[in-house]
Amino acid sequence: MRFLMISKPTDTPPDEKLFTEMGAFIEELTAAGVLLATGGLEPGGVVLSSRGDEITVTDGPFAEAKEAAAGFALIEVGTKEEAVELARRFRRIVGDGESTVQQVFGG
Amino acid sequence: MDVHRTIDAVWKLESARIVGGLARLVHDVGLAEELAQDALVAALEQWPVAGIPDNPGAWLTTVARRRAIDHIRRSRQTTTEMSYVEQPHQAQDDVLRLVFVCCHPALPRDARVALTLRLVAGLTAAEIARAFLQDEPQVVRRIAAAKRTLAEEGAGFTRPSGDAMPGRLASVLEVVYLVFNEGYSATGGRDLIRADLCREALRLGRMLATLAPGEAEVHGLVALMELQASRAAARTGPAGELILLHEQNRGRWDQLLIKRGFAAMLRARALGAPPGPYVVQAAIAVCHAQARTAAETDWTRIATLYDALVRLLPTAVVRLNRAVAIGFAYGPAAGLAEVDALLTDPALRDYHLLPAVRGDLLSRLGRHEEARREFERAAGLTRNHAEQAFLRRRAAETEGPAEAEGPAETKGPAEATLGAAVAAFLARDDLGRATRRSYGQTFTRLRRALGDSLPLDELTADRVASVCATAWGSAAAKTWNRHRAALRSFAVWSSLPGLADGLERRVETAAVASPVPAASLLDSPALPLRERALWRLLLESSATVTTVLALNVEDLDLEDRRARSGGRWVTWRSGAARLLPDLVAGRTSGPLFLTERRASASTVGDRCPHTGRGRLSYERAEYLFKRATGGTLRSLRAAG
Repeated sequence: MRFLMISKPTDTPPDEKLFTEMGAFIEELTAAGVLLATGGLEPGGVVLSSRGDEITVTDGPFAEAKEAAAGFALIEVGTKEEAVELARRFRRIVGDGESTVQQVFGG
Repeated sequence: MDVHRTIDAVWKLESARIVGGLARLVHDVGLAEELAQDALVAALEQWPVAGIPDNPGAWLTTVARRRAIDHIRRSRQTTTEMSYVEQPHQAQDDVLRLVFVCCHPALPRDARVALTLRLVAGLTAAEIARAFLQDEPQVVRRIAAAKRTLAEEGAGFTRPSGDAMPGRLASVLEVVYLVFNEGYSATGGRDLIRADLCREALRLGRMLATLAPGEAEVHGLVALMELQASRAAARTGPAGELILLHEQNRGRWDQLLIKRGFAAMLRARALGAPPGPYVVQAAIAVCHAQARTAAETDWTRIATLYDALVRLLPTAVVRLNRAVAIGFAYGPAAGLAEVDALLTDPALRDYHLLPAVRGDLLSRLGRHEEARREFERAAGLTRNHAEQAFLRRRAAETEGPAEAEGPAETKGPAEATLGAAVAAFLARDDLGRATRRSYGQTFTRLRRALGDSLPLDELTADRVASVCATAWGSAAAKTWNRHRAALRSFAVWSSLPGLADGLERRVETAAVASPVPAASLLDSPALPLRERALWRLLLESSATVTTVLALNVEDLDLEDRRARSGGRWVTWRSGAARLLPDLVAGRTSGPLFLTERRASASTVGDRCPHTGRGRLSYERAEYLFKRATGGTLRSLRAAG
């Protein structure tokens, strides 16, 4: 089963310690053979919306940027509980904030 | 969330590191797993009440380690290692050692697979049993026996030494790929792909690639598995039927896994070593993944890669795949010539893909009736439902227009096919039960090899002779003659005189096959002194192979025919006593049994101070014995 773990942006800027711990965490996930892909996302990005025949393209930044994703990890494990346990470890490293874990169908 | 399910998840993620860390303390993986299980039981008791700890993995590790230290104290072993110094990457080193011990050469292959899935992948016995369509008690027994063997052999918890490394690594990779293939093409049952096993194998492979990044074959295996797994979704149709590679919807190939496969391949290539079998197989998978349509496949390159693979891995299955590639690269006639050369290979006797491939090549050559029979024969040889359905469909589709419209009377009476004729022959009233059973064995083989629908007029003496030579060519004369008699009887009954003419009667001798080589072979002066001394010592001492190989010259008491080993004595009789003085040949210390190769200076305990040569490894000793006698060293010990 594949799960997409998405984390929302936080107010506190990342420091040296966070980078080191995140590096170690990613290394651990890779060594465990469960991490398929991971990456950080630019704040805001481009928003496309469609209404009828009309498609609107809007460049960021946006006021509601907090709802956007700041980073993602695609993992492959046997159960949802394993995915949640890994997300729990991630949250322990990054401190206050929010992540979502969703199963990827067909993966 | 359910606490028990969380505990399962933590166990799955942590068990390899916990068991590995404990094994380093207690030098026994079986004991290490029991201690880890104790910690798991403690979690099952405490977490539902006290809540899940902040860091569940660390909690389990701490409890398990405490149990290990208690155990060491109780058994009053040395306490020097209790300080438990954590090196950087210690956990990774522990897991790698654990993998090597689980794939120890003293274990049969099934046991290696079960133990690796249990201890490294953290599967339960029930999960392993389900995945391999076995009973759970059977798996439990196999794992228990494997742990016992490891303890008896004194396998401990060490990394393989330098010259043993390639062989030990090959064993690990074989286990991982076996698990993958069991999942990818299940040998039985209804699910063509048991995704769980594929995922476990990929997980193990990716893990190994991090633990042993300098081994090109590890990256090759990972690349091969990622690329094969990328096609998993496209490999079956809506009704679960099998879809061949060149008919697959390439849009359903998983691009993420393909990219991961390419990346693993680049890592393998970057190491610059001459490509091994996994790297070459991965290169073939890369060719398929790079072709946007089936027609764009570079079959010439694939055929060349198979030429290289046949040299590295000259198995019958690889040669069959090479024939397929040649069929696509240079035309079906060229492919068929290669396949026909494999028809007498005993290893492919019941392999359904041989007739399946032949059927495909024959159908491309327009030989539809022969093709149809081959597809039917292939369907009869596989237990996989999806493959059976696929092959039956191909057989049905291969009714060539000429034959389908042919006049009905050419079909002849019902007995005109091999299957019907054999059934009628065996159904006769005048056959006794024992005779029918004996004949049954002969004709089951004949029908599997030639197919039930073979017309009787195509059943020639040459064909019968070829089937017999493949099936029983190396059997005892008595067996051969029994099958020959059955076929001669059938020839008379079916009015096909001469059918068994290609079968010579063999002279039956009263040779008794013995599992242990005769003393004359063990003592043959044509063999090197070292081998003779080792075998005599094993036979006469009944000590384990590991114990005997661990002996040092300074431990020997040649006068009293004994040597100190740990707290015990290894003793021998006159046979070894005659040989040992020559083997020692003036040496005063260092390993008793030496390899031909020089050891690196760092391996102090396993290096001869006189010659600089290393200690003879288990793998090498096993290989030498097998080459000389065909048996295993363990059987020698048991015979003593």
